[in-house]
Amino acid sequence: MLPKDSREALQYMLHTIVFDTSFSPCGRYLAAANKFGDVALFSLTAALAPDVRDEAKYPVFTFNVYKNGGVYSLTSTDTLLICAGEGDIQAYKWSDIISKNARVAWSLAIPKKGVFSHPEVNSCVVYEDNDSLTGHTDYIHSVALKDEGKGLISAAEDGTARIWDLRAKEAVHVVKPFEHEMCTRPHMGKWLQCLAMDEENYWLLLGGGPTLAAWHLKTLTPAVTFDTPGVAQNVTMFYEDKIFSAGSSNVLNHWSITGEHKMGVPVSPVSVYSIGINSASKSNKVMVVAGSCEKLDVCTNFGYRAFSLTFLPPLA
Amino acid sequence: MASKDEIHEGKKKRLLKGEIPPGLTEPKKHKLDLLNKPDVQIPGSEEEEALQSNPLADLQSFQASCDFLKSAIKEIKELKKKNTDSSAEITSIRTDATIHFIHMKKLNRLAHFRCRKVRDITNEAKYKIDQCHLQLQNLLYEAMHLEKEITKCMEFKSKDEEIELVPLEEFYKSAPDSVSKPDVTRKDVHQQMLSRLEWELEQRKQLAIKLSETKSEKEKIAQEIQSKQDYLDTLQPKLAAILQATRPVQDYLDMPYDSIMEEHQKAQHLPVPLYVLYMQTSAYKEACDKSLKVSIVGDVDAAKSLITFTFEPDEESDSDQEEQEKADSKRRKKSTEVRNLETKNRILKKHPLSVVLDITSKDGADLQLTFCYLLALNIITVSVKVTQDPSITTTSISGGDLLSPDLILDEIYPNDHGNDSPNVANHYELKKHGLQELTSYIPVIGHPYLWCQWMGGLQFLNRDLDKEDSAGRTDRDEENNLAVSRIAAVRAKHSISAANMQKTISLLRERMKARICLLQMLLSLERGIIPLSADSMKMFPAKINAQLTSWKRSTFSDIQVLPHAERFIKAGVIRESDLIFTAVMERGSARMTAYVVLTADCPRVPPLFVVDIMWQALRTALTDIHIMEMEEEVNLHFKELLRGKSHDHLLANQLQRLLMCFDVYLETDTPASSLVPVEIPKEKMMPRICRGPARSKPYKYVPELGIFTHRC
Repeated sequence: MLPKDSREALQYMLHTIVFDTSFSPCGRYLAAANKFGDVALFSLTAALAPDVRDEAKYPVFTFNVYKNGGVYSLTSTDTLLICAGEGDIQAYKWSDIISKNARVAWSLAIPKKGVFSHPEVNSCVVYEDNDSLTGHTDYIHSVALKDEGKGLISAAEDGTARIWDLRAKEAVHVVKPFEHEMCTRPHMGKWLQCLAMDEENYWLLLGGGPTLAAWHLKTLTPAVTFDTPGVAQNVTMFYEDKIFSAGSSNVLNHWSITGEHKMGVPVSPVSVYSIGINSASKSNKVMVVAGSCEKLDVCTNFGYRAFSLTFLPPLA
Repeated sequence: MASKDEIHEGKKKRLLKGEIPPGLTEPKKHKLDLLNKPDVQIPGSEEEEALQSNPLADLQSFQASCDFLKSAIKEIKELKKKNTDSSAEITSIRTDATIHFIHMKKLNRLAHFRCRKVRDITNEAKYKIDQCHLQLQNLLYEAMHLEKEITKCMEFKSKDEEIELVPLEEFYKSAPDSVSKPDVTRKDVHQQMLSRLEWELEQRKQLAIKLSETKSEKEKIAQEIQSKQDYLDTLQPKLAAILQATRPVQDYLDMPYDSIMEEHQKAQHLPVPLYVLYMQTSAYKEACDKSLKVSIVGDVDAAKSLITFTFEPDEESDSDQEEQEKADSKRRKKSTEVRNLETKNRILKKHPLSVVLDITSKDGADLQLTFCYLLALNIITVSVKVTQDPSITTTSISGGDLLSPDLILDEIYPNDHGNDSPNVANHYELKKHGLQELTSYIPVIGHPYLWCQWMGGLQFLNRDLDKEDSAGRTDRDEENNLAVSRIAAVRAKHSISAANMQKTISLLRERMKARICLLQMLLSLERGIIPLSADSMKMFPAKINAQLTSWKRSTFSDIQVLPHAERFIKAGVIRESDLIFTAVMERGSARMTAYVVLTADCPRVPPLFVVDIMWQALRTALTDIHIMEMEEEVNLHFKELLRGKSHDHLLANQLQRLLMCFDVYLETDTPASSLVPVEIPKEKMMPRICRGPARSKPYKYVPELGIFTHRC
């Protein structure tokens, strides 16, 4: 529809925000979703090839999921790519996407409550039961499963993180970082945007308006804070013995679990919304950082940006 | 012969004697034998003897003598040993030996003779061989010379070969027997040729006579024609007088056939591209757009004289003009400057005639385009004059140059700034004559826009194909046309002109309209009022607290230094040729500065906004994602702001939306905690303040409900 260097395409690229990325189960492809409801598929194998050409930095295929509104979350299972955002949750088969023929495998409507509620999906986990949990007073930014699916943690705009028991279907604990003196930042706000847990479910990372902090899950007290003055952290993750986090500045932070700031890697987006590490394929093991620009930064060595992929609008 | 045999016999005897050791038995006999030899006695004939005797036999006799000598010495020795009285014997042996010795001497002499003789013979033979060789050389040379002569003779061409003769059969058919003499010539080729030549001569003589006859006839006819022409010429003034007489009638009946005819006659003298332009524009005017005015201005006589020479870009061209100039400049010495000026004038020389196209719009503004043709460069340039309806005041401070002749036609087609020549050959032409790039002469010659060339049916190879293809507005069909004609040589073509005419005229009209509309809008903006139409008023809430406080012109260098504008410049959506304005909007202590970037083709290409907000701290798209989303609202979602197909109110609507978004931004920027004092309270109806991972603000207004929601 649009030539690559037309004004429309340039405007699209100048104003895009990439909200989430996901690697294919085979580890050879990367899917990225943006605020215009488009999902772009990149070939990591081509982009990482030694004799890489410029075309390899562009999507091999782009398709539209939502006509009006963004795709906020991408979740990958063994065969499916689950897209969620402003509309019904939609699942596509990876094999279909890779053969450039995206068809909705199934979709799941979100129940509406009231006239003005158009709920969006900000975060997704795959879980086999069919429940609804109530308790948050504002929308939820992020969810994560714990204890092999027995529990769930959610972080919300209302500033609380709730730890749910999925068998009892109720919140066992409510964590309020904005009330804790170690983390509170009243001038920033109280919302919680990111959460992450280590593999032993021993530490819980919570960040957003309040300072990013590692909470001890047993005692529910913050043990370590990772201070980023004036910068809200949008994403965080544990990786081996390190913690990565990034947010409303163009820096990807490397932390040690003791709270030491090891490194700040400059990245292209001025606001980062997604950090992904491809662990499925050894040869394509890279970190992808995406956010408020059309460029997705690829780090082969996590300490610096190797090159960028470019999110193009669906082209003719 | 007999003597020879004797010699042989003698020899044999000697040999026998030699073989038999010269015993004591008959030495005397031997001696006698030797003395008896006939030749010995005849000295002087030794030379002959040497010739006659056999050398081998001589050798044997020599050896025999040697042996004899040896044995003689031995004998003597033995005799002496015996000490017997044998002196007689010794003496006889000695005598014999002496004779043998003499014989040996003679043989030696003979050998010498023989040797000399052989040498002489050899020399003689050698001399003979040399003689023969020389003779052979001479003969060979002679043969070669003769061969050459033969080939020369063979190659000799007779004059008659050059004469084209009638074919042989025809000759026998047409020539009388007295000439052809078939009985002789059939056999003798030489005679045949002679008679053919004779026949040829005769025939040619006849033809020459015929030619002169025809010539005289032709002259006669030419004279006749001339006399008739003279008669017709005398008719011309009479007819003109009649036409003159009918003119009042024409005027009275409002049928300006005459003036049209005059114009058409003028058109005859236009250069081809301008003629195409004139013809096509007139045709378009007739068929589609009566409000156009097309006319030809300039000196027809100069054009007439110009037609007589064909223009060549070299020195000897411009005969008329140069002669004139020569007359002028002969007196003063030609300095290099003057010469340069002359070259410049010659290269940039316009055709004396030009076509004037008047495009009048309904609101009284008039766009006057004067098309000129540069003879040497083969391009059409245009100069513009804009006249406005005096009743409408459109003197804007910030947009004073919007109607300036240099800018109003910028980018009628994308990327067509009209600053450099569309004919790439010009670049080399100018360089050859030591002139600067065409860009520096634009004020003198006018702008050579691409569409002017198209109107004149000129099509040059495009500088960059990609840009052409990316031009979103170009029709597919037309692009194909262009692609085809790109290959063709640069000659004025009606098809090219016709293909682009309608679009160009309508684009010119649109541009004119858009510029006047924009000018009026700027006038209003300078007074701090966003000129919304009643129709678009409905798209916005009735009350907006923020206000436009200033609207100023800005420059590219101003925006270039802004870090948050860098990505737009890098992407090429803000360019140096764009018109840039600064709008300042305020509410309370918050101040928003919006850089508004208009392209020449505004508002077809929607205005672009680059925003920063000064409130407590400086916030830009680089530090605050909500500002990036605010820019998106106006830059990307402008289509919602269009009413129908008209782009006219786009800028005003965009500004109004920006103002509204500014309100929303400020009202939702309250931190959650109540510890910070709130300067701007939340007044608007917003069901949700944040949405999605970016915590987007509800910038979208729903007029039916009067609420603000998110874009989803």
